[in-house]
Amino acid sequence: MNSWALRLVSRVSGLFGQKKAESEFDCEMQIHLQLLTEKFVRQGMSPEDADSAARRQFGNTTLLRQRQRESRTFMIFSAVFQDVRYGFRLLRKSPGFTAIAVASLALAIGANTTIFSLAESILYDRLHVAHADQLRMLRWVEDKHSAVDGMWGDFDPDPNGGGMLGSVFSYPVYQQLRARNAVLEDLLAYKEDSMNVTMRGNAQRVNVDLVSGNFYAVLGTRPQLGRAIQPTDDATPGAGAVAVISEGVWEREFGRSSAVLGQTITVNQTPLTIVGVNPRGFTGAKNTHDSPDVFVPLSMQPVVDPKGKKESLLNDNDMWWVNVVGRARPGVADAQAEAALNVELAAATRATIKVKPDQTTPRLVLVDGGRGLNYAARMFRKPVFVLMTMTGFVLLLACANIANLLLARGAARQREMSVRLALGAGRGRVLRQLLTESLLLAGIGGAGGLLLGYLGRNLIPRLMSSGWSSTFDVPMDWGVFAFAAGVTLLTGLIFGLAPAWLAARSEVSSSLKESAQTTTRRRKGLGGKAIVAFQISLSTLLVVGAGLFLRTLLALNAVDVGFLTDHLILFEVSPPVRRYGPEKDVALHQRLEQEFAALPGVEGVAPSWTAYIADNMSNGEFAPEGEKSSSDQGDAEDINVVSNAYFKTLGIPIIAGRGFGAQDTVSSLPVAVINQALAKKRFPGTNPIGRRFKTDDEKPVWIEIVGVCGDNYYRNLREEPPAQFFLPYVQQPEVGGMTYAIRSQVDVGTLVPALRRVMQQVDRDLPIVDVRTQREQIDENMQTERMFAALALALASVGIYGIMAYSVTNRRNEIGIRLALGAQPGQVQGMILRESTWLAVAGIVVGVGAALLLTRLVKSMLYRIQPDDPMTMVGGVLVLLVVALAAGWIPARRAAGVQPMEALRHE
Amino acid sequence: MNIDKSEVLQGTLDLMILKTLHALGPLHGFGIARRIEQVSEDVLTLNEGTVYTSLLRLQQQGWIDSEWGTSENNRKARFYSITRRGRKQLAVETENWERISGVIGRVLRLQGGKQL
Repeated sequence: MNSWALRLVSRVSGLFGQKKAESEFDCEMQIHLQLLTEKFVRQGMSPEDADSAARRQFGNTTLLRQRQRESRTFMIFSAVFQDVRYGFRLLRKSPGFTAIAVASLALAIGANTTIFSLAESILYDRLHVAHADQLRMLRWVEDKHSAVDGMWGDFDPDPNGGGMLGSVFSYPVYQQLRARNAVLEDLLAYKEDSMNVTMRGNAQRVNVDLVSGNFYAVLGTRPQLGRAIQPTDDATPGAGAVAVISEGVWEREFGRSSAVLGQTITVNQTPLTIVGVNPRGFTGAKNTHDSPDVFVPLSMQPVVDPKGKKESLLNDNDMWWVNVVGRARPGVADAQAEAALNVELAAATRATIKVKPDQTTPRLVLVDGGRGLNYAARMFRKPVFVLMTMTGFVLLLACANIANLLLARGAARQREMSVRLALGAGRGRVLRQLLTESLLLAGIGGAGGLLLGYLGRNLIPRLMSSGWSSTFDVPMDWGVFAFAAGVTLLTGLIFGLAPAWLAARSEVSSSLKESAQTTTRRRKGLGGKAIVAFQISLSTLLVVGAGLFLRTLLALNAVDVGFLTDHLILFEVSPPVRRYGPEKDVALHQRLEQEFAALPGVEGVAPSWTAYIADNMSNGEFAPEGEKSSSDQGDAEDINVVSNAYFKTLGIPIIAGRGFGAQDTVSSLPVAVINQALAKKRFPGTNPIGRRFKTDDEKPVWIEIVGVCGDNYYRNLREEPPAQFFLPYVQQPEVGGMTYAIRSQVDVGTLVPALRRVMQQVDRDLPIVDVRTQREQIDENMQTERMFAALALALASVGIYGIMAYSVTNRRNEIGIRLALGAQPGQVQGMILRESTWLAVAGIVVGVGAALLLTRLVKSMLYRIQPDDPMTMVGGVLVLLVVALAAGWIPARRAAGVQPMEALRHE
Repeated sequence: MNIDKSEVLQGTLDLMILKTLHALGPLHGFGIARRIEQVSEDVLTLNEGTVYTSLLRLQQQGWIDSEWGTSENNRKARFYSITRRGRKQLAVETENWERISGVIGRVLRLQGGKQL
């Protein structure tokens, strides 16, 4: 350690133990004085003379003490403390200024931290595995003539062409690809599905990841406890009855106990032994935000998750269902790997399924697998970009607010600075004082921003995900916080110090003599005005944007969904196929329907295949008798399979004919109800009742239409009610899982436990999951709109703030002079109003122009209004005009109302 | 911080104190003041309090160390002693001092010659 560092350390440590050091030094001085006095006495002085001689020779003890104190620590600290106290006093003296500045800072920093953290986590987060950037996911593109038929997994329209893009393969194709692959490292396969899992006697529906034996090895992930799933577990179908659980489950269900290893859980009634616990943050290979709870060898699929006719998908050539991922091999370019794998895929496809001459095989594409399937990014890309843009504007506006405030304040304080300089304050000292004040303001704003950012971090996930499904974890991004804080603080410093710097440089006497207020106003007037106009245009943009989203939300809220949404509770019951095969599941639902209906306070019970406004849909063939089927898929219509009490319970009106009833049983004539939209679409001009149709070619029977019901919204509120037909579930050979709708005035908190008790009595291993009210379901469907509306309100307030911050208070002096020279108060007011109007109009014109350009980008997010919606535009402009004029006029009127002399004497 | 006259004097005082502690071993402030008085033969008069300012500075540099103990006539006193770093510093400072005083001496003699 060199000596300056030592000195620094001793000085810093001198900050503490100040008292002790001082008393020690006092003691030392005392002794010295005593010894000196004694010495003089020995030399023959009288005690009194000796005492004063000693004091003379020793010197001024107070001064010495002060000097010791100074060199013991940093003097600057006490000076800074003084500055801070003074700064606080000033901020308290002008609460309006402080509130606006702090609020601007806090909002900008908070909003930006939250939104950009969110964006980063949604758009750029990678899987939590080593070298996620090396992962490559196998996908494919197919055209309309593809030979691949059966598919269980995601697929979406190919953005680069007319085909479809998918990422699932049949197990035999995967095995062949894996065996022949020479261009990537080993290929892994996985499939995520939700299953009924019982852990410690607690049945619940969770996501289970079926993974190939090399899954952990390829990802390079080692469990934090126990072992991973190994190739031997995956070797024989049905033999690897082991499971690895996520850290979340370990914590939630097992309290992080190491005794978890060896315990048994049941997955769809199959007992599995827990052999390991995944490391923290590991989410599998599918997505980056939440982890499946249980990982099971893929070879267990026929046992835990039987599907299709043969139950096992492992040797099913027709069903394409597993996701395949590999690691890039060093030295092999992606294009090269893609070409090689494409050849293999074509060969494997032709080897496993029959490809007719006019059919094609899918073309393989290799994509980045480091983010998994990246659902969140694909779903939220647009809203997130819009959010980012909007918050970017908020940051700009906050900077403009602060710049404007500080400039105005700086101009108003020119005189104070001159006085302080004249009284002998050093320029450095004055600058330091101003710097301290700016930093103080920035510090308070920054703390507020941090708080807001933290709250937002907790709030956004709640807005983005429903109360009953998994939460969306947004990490706090400190880099973003630092950036937003840095930008705003820098603005504060620059605009806080610039006037101070000018003041400090000007000659003391000249600025005092020339009543600095008027001269400096001229000099800086233009910059100040430009900032105000900029503020107004940004505010216009924000208010118009907010108006568009609010009107969208209002329009969506006003939609009549077509059934009664109040007092309706929804939940899912998904009986596993192994225990409840065909017919057995129908019997189970019938029993549950009766048991639930018997509970006190339950007015109606209505299970159905599809819950409405939940972005779910199913459709089925609808082929009326005597109508020639035009194409393969053209005559499919939306379908819902429902209970007999469904229409009554949901309050869907029967327009003609009848609804389902007790007379409709498994043995009676197959019946259906269609909605008005379907009647109009398929039976225009004729009475559909009594007509017959066929659906599902597996077991073609004629189904008779017995009623027509009202239309209702199906997938979401943005799509108009579609044509739809209803079938009674009791007449279906198998139904599987159903969504129950229960109408009851009883409080959800009391009803749900009662429902669970009933469920437990019927089947201990069957959970009631995803309990929510129909209202919550609809709200969840509007989550993006809600988030935007909430944010829009905040933004609009920021915008209004921005203008309020512009004020003319510090023109009192000028107004006084004008009045003293004979101007009428009305004239002065008129002058100020004219100026404010010009500024406001200029700002608003620019703002509206920008809004017209930018709102076009959010067109797809609006509902029933156009981006250039005249109501919103006019409304926004009016609001801003009024606020801007009020912000200019109110202080002006107050100033014009005072006596000229008083105004001149002011300050 | 600006350099004023006392700073130069303090620097000299620092050196004297270091040398005193080097020559005589651990001493309290009073002892140091006596020793300097004795050596300077009343040519240098100083406020004895400034000794303590010097002592604090030297201590912060890590050149001396201090410890509470009892003096020869059984009084509580703080004893200062030179550290190893202090000894090194003393050697450097002594050499510096000699060089500078040599230069200054030569300069002063030169000036005198011209005047003659």
